[in-house]
Amino acid sequence: MMGPPTGTGTLGRRALLKSSTAALALAALLGRRTHAAGTPWADRPATRVDRLNFVVWTYGDIYTKISKKFADDWVVPVDATISSFNDHPTKLITMYAGGETIDVSQSSPFSFPNFITQGLVEPLDGLPGADEYQKDFTDSAKQVAVVDGKLMGLPYFSTVWVWNYYTDLMEKARFEPFKTYDELLEQCRKAKKDGICDYPIQWVAGVGLEQLPGTWYQLTWNRGGVFFDKAGNQQLGPGSIARETLKWWIQTFTEQLVDPESLRVQFTTSAKAFCAGKNIYRGPNHHYGLNIINDPKQSPIAGKVKAMGSPGDGKTIGATSVYFLCSANRDKEWAWKLLQYLGGRTKDGAYTQAENLARDAMLGSGYASVMKSTAVTEGWKPWGEPDKILEIWDKAIYVGEMCNSIYKPWHFPWSDRINIEVQKALTGQITADQCCDTLIAAIKEVQKS
Amino acid sequence: MPAAPKRRGRAELSAGKLGVVMNLPTLATLALVLAYPIGYAAYLSFHKVTPAELRRGVFPSVGLGNYQRILSDPLFLLALKNTLVFTAVTVVVELALAIAIALLIDQRQVWTSRVTRFLILLPYAVPPIANGLIWSFMYNFDFGFLNRLLFSAGLIAKPVNWIGDPNTALFALTVPYIWRTLPFAVLLVHAALQGINPELYEAASVDGAGAFTRFRHITLPLLVPILVVILVLRTSFAFVVFEEVLAITQGGPGDATWVAVWYSYKRSFAPPFDVGIGAASAYVLALIIGALALAYVTIIYRRIE
Repeated sequence: MMGPPTGTGTLGRRALLKSSTAALALAALLGRRTHAAGTPWADRPATRVDRLNFVVWTYGDIYTKISKKFADDWVVPVDATISSFNDHPTKLITMYAGGETIDVSQSSPFSFPNFITQGLVEPLDGLPGADEYQKDFTDSAKQVAVVDGKLMGLPYFSTVWVWNYYTDLMEKARFEPFKTYDELLEQCRKAKKDGICDYPIQWVAGVGLEQLPGTWYQLTWNRGGVFFDKAGNQQLGPGSIARETLKWWIQTFTEQLVDPESLRVQFTTSAKAFCAGKNIYRGPNHHYGLNIINDPKQSPIAGKVKAMGSPGDGKTIGATSVYFLCSANRDKEWAWKLLQYLGGRTKDGAYTQAENLARDAMLGSGYASVMKSTAVTEGWKPWGEPDKILEIWDKAIYVGEMCNSIYKPWHFPWSDRINIEVQKALTGQITADQCCDTLIAAIKEVQKS
Repeated sequence: MPAAPKRRGRAELSAGKLGVVMNLPTLATLALVLAYPIGYAAYLSFHKVTPAELRRGVFPSVGLGNYQRILSDPLFLLALKNTLVFTAVTVVVELALAIAIALLIDQRQVWTSRVTRFLILLPYAVPPIANGLIWSFMYNFDFGFLNRLLFSAGLIAKPVNWIGDPNTALFALTVPYIWRTLPFAVLLVHAALQGINPELYEAASVDGAGAFTRFRHITLPLLVPILVVILVLRTSFAFVVFEEVLAITQGGPGDATWVAVWYSYKRSFAPPFDVGIGAASAYVLALIIGALALAYVTIIYRRIE
């Protein structure tokens, strides 16, 4: 049975409005699709895949969102294998060696040359849109992602090394942020003597690729030194700035100005430990630690910690981590599509992941356009002062410029030696001279092996 | 009734042959799950093996090169030394504690021993990596439970940096390890205690033997076979300690807690991912464990006999 008639047979005003609205909506949808079609990030690959996967290290909840977006946009499910930062190379390599399929993975700048040497990384040159991405890269991103003239990855995030200080203890001690390293020592001695705190500085000196070595690199670069010159000659010999810096660093331990947990903490654990409010300064490390320390849900001292630049001309170091297309992928076109979701643009043409990382996690980007966008200038505000951090950002060089062994596959095993020998020096088992001499000798060993 | 005709060629197997046939499935399974990987690891230890080569399945031979490299690496030798110290401390302490605790919970007249028997097994149920993390928090310099407890009891005047000090770090690692593995030893000793005939103790008591004499001349000699088993097992397991190192110290500070398996792990599973070196170092370790086990069994069993 048919329902009652709804009209007289002619187009009424209401029906006209309805049909016009529907037509406009359809036109808008089609228009958008037409606009997106033909752009490298919006075209569907000609091949078919049942699913895709990526192997990454953990950072909050960032991968749930982007995986869902990919599955919604392309109706292809994405499997994620996620491990801790330090375990990531192990996980990735064992999967690769075991013959498993890996479409996309990621790397810190410190391990990327090694992954390339192992044959894990597929060059991106010639893939649709690759050139456009490169044009938007920051200098730091270029130096990591472009290897021997070939594009090998897309940026995950960028960071610079900054100092942190706890304003409550600073006020209590009547200190101003230090301007020289001597002033820092004086402040720490005074704070300890006056009972402001037992251990004024917390260093990030736990074992890792960027943790303990990164602190030494930063302190050395800020004082005008390098680890290797442009020709690749080590600069750790007697009288070198790196060696003198290490002597100064050891002094902070000898005088018991340093939180003993410093030798164990990584970036995140250090931020969490600083939340206890027991230290005045947190040594130079990744800028985004503030998103923990100044988060009221995680920190009892939220809002009371500020970022500051380094002494002198404020020179500091920075780094960019990358996503890469794994040579063990199941389908290059689809893997490239997934790689763009993680390290480039999504179907709508936006840098969705990079912008989310800035807004949700205070991470910097390897794309110049994102760094200038409100995702950074406004998105970082809940945890820190974006202008101040961006000022420090402008004084940063990519760490590979002052320690160009990072571009060599042997840098990773040499880092192992740095971790061992420097921790021995910081705990008084050997001197700075012995430490540096051992590290110089170790360069030849790791190059040979 | 006429006898059933014998079938030709279907004669019954002898007991010996039947035993072999019955054991074949087990042998085949063991060969697959144990012998093959062990043999493959031996093969790898004589080759240059990187992940790319593993994926391709083609490895260049290096002869004894991997063994020469590790035996001339001071870090490997230090890791071996640390392993020996760790093993000696944990095995000795564990044996002493296992005997003491097993004797305590074997007191049937004390009803609380039943509760203790249950509680003592709990640490064994904790996954090793979780155990490492728990103790990592316990040892924390600023907020650790251990420092707080000792400070409250007046035993220390200021916090001790248990795992950040190279002089204490290795010994600090032995505590969580012993805590986790002790229940196994207690269980074995307790089971052996229950197998001792109570009449032996009664007779000794009638003869005027005190508690210590009974322990010295009855309990201990009868426990020796199980103590050898514990010695062999605990030594083998302590030699391959890994989880506590991974969770608590990561080999630090410096190289203070680098042990042999940590060395193998770092060489195999951290860049440059030299699996051949890792396999060679694991084999050196296996040979040492095998030699020690053989020595235990030979020396102590000979004494028993």
